[in-house]
Amino acid sequence: MEPNQEIESRIEEVLKAEKENKIPRMTKRDYIIAAVITVIALIGIIGGFFL
Amino acid sequence: MSRKHDINKEIENEVYCGTLPVLPKERKYGFIDALLVLSGYCIATWSYTQGSYLATLVGFKQLLIGAFLAAIFMLMIYQLPVIMSARYGIDIWIWLRSVFGPAGNKVVTIIIILVNFPWYAVCCELFADSMENLLGLFGIQLFNGAHLILSLSCVIIGTIIALRGVSTITWTTRILVPLLLLVGVAVVIVGFTSVPMDVIWNYQPELAGDADKTVNYVLSIEANFAFVITLVGGMAEVPRLCKSEKSSYYAGVLGQGAAGSFFVVVGAVMAIAMQYVTGKMVDDPTLMMATLSAPILGLSSLLLVAFANIGTQAVGSYIYGVMLKSTFKKSSYKVLVLVLGLYVAVLCVWGKITEYFGSFLTIGACVYAPLAALLFVDFFLVRKQKIDLKSAYELEGHNAYRYSKGFNIVGIICLALGFGFTLLIFDPINVVIHNKILFMLTPTFASFLFTGVLYYLLCKIPGVRRYVRRDTYAGPDKKPFDRAKVPPRQNIILLPLMWLACRILTAPYKLKIDKKNMDGIKPPFLVFGSHNSFMDFYVTPLALKPYRANYISELEGFENFGEWIYRQVGCLGTRKFINDQSLIKNITRVIRRGDIMVIYPEARYANVGTNSHLTKANAKLAKMLKVPVVTLNMQGNYLQQPIWNLKERKGARLHAELKCVVTADEIGKLSVDEIFSRISKELTYDEYKYQLENKIVIDDEWRAEGLHYPLYRCRKCGKDFAMTTSGSKITCKYCGDSYEMDELGQLHSSSGEIIHIPDWYEWQRGFVHEECREGRYKLDIPVRIWALPNAVNFVDCGEGRFIHDCNGFSLEFDNYRTEKHETLKFPAKSMTSLHTEYDYRGKYGPCVTLSTYDDTFFIYPTDESRDVFNPTKIQFATEFLGGLYT
Repeated sequence: MEPNQEIESRIEEVLKAEKENKIPRMTKRDYIIAAVITVIALIGIIGGFFL
Repeated sequence: MSRKHDINKEIENEVYCGTLPVLPKERKYGFIDALLVLSGYCIATWSYTQGSYLATLVGFKQLLIGAFLAAIFMLMIYQLPVIMSARYGIDIWIWLRSVFGPAGNKVVTIIIILVNFPWYAVCCELFADSMENLLGLFGIQLFNGAHLILSLSCVIIGTIIALRGVSTITWTTRILVPLLLLVGVAVVIVGFTSVPMDVIWNYQPELAGDADKTVNYVLSIEANFAFVITLVGGMAEVPRLCKSEKSSYYAGVLGQGAAGSFFVVVGAVMAIAMQYVTGKMVDDPTLMMATLSAPILGLSSLLLVAFANIGTQAVGSYIYGVMLKSTFKKSSYKVLVLVLGLYVAVLCVWGKITEYFGSFLTIGACVYAPLAALLFVDFFLVRKQKIDLKSAYELEGHNAYRYSKGFNIVGIICLALGFGFTLLIFDPINVVIHNKILFMLTPTFASFLFTGVLYYLLCKIPGVRRYVRRDTYAGPDKKPFDRAKVPPRQNIILLPLMWLACRILTAPYKLKIDKKNMDGIKPPFLVFGSHNSFMDFYVTPLALKPYRANYISELEGFENFGEWIYRQVGCLGTRKFINDQSLIKNITRVIRRGDIMVIYPEARYANVGTNSHLTKANAKLAKMLKVPVVTLNMQGNYLQQPIWNLKERKGARLHAELKCVVTADEIGKLSVDEIFSRISKELTYDEYKYQLENKIVIDDEWRAEGLHYPLYRCRKCGKDFAMTTSGSKITCKYCGDSYEMDELGQLHSSSGEIIHIPDWYEWQRGFVHEECREGRYKLDIPVRIWALPNAVNFVDCGEGRFIHDCNGFSLEFDNYRTEKHETLKFPAKSMTSLHTEYDYRGKYGPCVTLSTYDDTFFIYPTDESRDVFNPTKIQFATEFLGGLYT
């Protein structure tokens, strides 16, 4: 297969997989957990000023 | 097959496969696998350098906070976009083409390597230090220049290994990571057993007299931010191999934030222990082990560290060599690795990379912080997690990311300004703080915030957004425009600026405004204006000064200029020729709150400078609102920029008449017919008559170009779509009948006949009416369709079928909203007119639009139907079939 054809067919497959959610997405819950960890880390950094 | 050929083939293969999207079935890494790989990458001898550098700044407790929490904080934010790599199986170097353009990406790749590669010079320095220190322990003194030779030997051996290609590098990595772990474990054991625990726990650095503890803490946080952010380049290849977005994200966060940071702390412990024992802080694990345990342990560790440093140098040369090769495909891998080796060698000869470790970290972060901000904002807020992969791979016919000759100027400017912003806060070379408030955010994080906000705001500007988001078709915003949203009053702060802008824009055309019967007329009132060109929107505010007003605007204007600014200048968004009850409610709101409501009742620009018929609905609205009715008849606006050729004619002169036609007392007493009659009378106009009477000379040589759009039928041979224009002439392409447009807007035939343009226009209308009456009118053609659902973007609906006959319109196409192939029907009686464009936005050509409540469909001819698609004829038929003309 020509390189460009190979890329094109792979892109199609990747987009199809995206629609079918074959690679599990970050959920809303995951984003919330990430945000909470970020805030905790930030509070810790600010706390460091008082040590 | 020769070994040399093998390596080249391997590299070519690596570059090729390294750029292909990885399919879900090919993914190798779960969370643990990815974590181990990334941890391996993050653990290097430079972690000790970072640890000992931090120990010179802050106490152990603050050091722990910085090493773990600061690293994790920054990683949680800047690693988030790697979910894109996992989703599409691509690395960030492919994705960066959308942010900087393919050519811009090359420049950024070089910059990244320039700021990243000093890490490898640190490795070489450490190697030389280890050798020197250890030999010193055995009483062997080296000659001057031996240090340089040792560090260069590390470069040379590392480069040779990198040149041997993939297999050698794979083996090197397999040996390297366990070795580094072994050294780390040894350092931890020796460090914690050779000095009391409380010495480490309560450690405080000896600060110079003028050193500020807070500044040092910020510097340590900055060093940690910079440390983690500058490693992104080398980590970029892994997330695309992960089986889920979450595993790619957390593996990146914990690979650096936990494993990498742990080794930084180990380095700090080692340095603190050495200072306690010898009074001297070092970053060399070999020397530490030899000093704190036994020389034999130091000798063993020398072999480990020596190989680790050479191995790291080799792996770095390989990773960046392949990265360069994928960017500069024609260059030889061998040459690229040698160039990288030469760069590190130059840094070694300079010999001050360890001394300027903090500076180089921050300079690296100066580039990486805006880069990370651009990735974050671009992915989540600008492209809303969608990119056009085909354009990213530069496949033929997919040019969304070509931008300006391969450079995304907006991305490049933001990167440059973000870099400059860091330097405005802090001078990393001389360690001088320029702005203490922003410095408290740390230069890296401040630059991250600045660049992110700048890029986001720039992309809010419609022109910039369209430039950056040429890939909207890949993931368009489909949410329908909120027509019911309550329109704000005209922004009182923007109002003077708006008047000033209107004054400046109308000044060349010597606008004169007359006001009649306006004494004592104060808001609220209703204004009906003539509609000729965009100039109407500059004349109207000046005519209504000093009052504020709200305007009805087609949604297309919101998309063109931006929703925020359009709302601030008082526009109410709607779609044309639909029964928009939300609009009526908003008009009522505007009047009830005491403002002026401006309506252009023709709802379309005049095609040939004459008014369209109005509907009685306007008079009914006035009657319902029970407020005075004012008309604004603007003259010259059409002449200045006719819809069929949007080039401005400098000779035009503007005049406007603002006139109260129905007072507050009269509105309750007059019938709808009487009100309608007054409005219609005042909004009757003929721009060419105005031109002739006022002898307004428009002598542009191209003055007739485009006139064939409204005058499409040959007066002599009677063929439709026969006319063509050039310069000041309009000519039939079939029979050759030709007319010259004079400087006063009249047409002259070769036989001396003088034609008034609106007469020709109306003459054509008669033929269309006849076709409709006889049931002969029918247009059935292939078209190209774009939908406008909101003020954000158009959605490409591909090709469809457009049918217009005596029953109305049918539009057959793949409806993106329902994801079905369907036919939308627009009954003839439901539309009194039609929005037409002759050359949409000066570049898209002729089109007509059809609207539902949630979409406006812009319908363009295809190459096949271009010759029979004329918006004027379609409009004539629509107006007749809709009952506007009889």
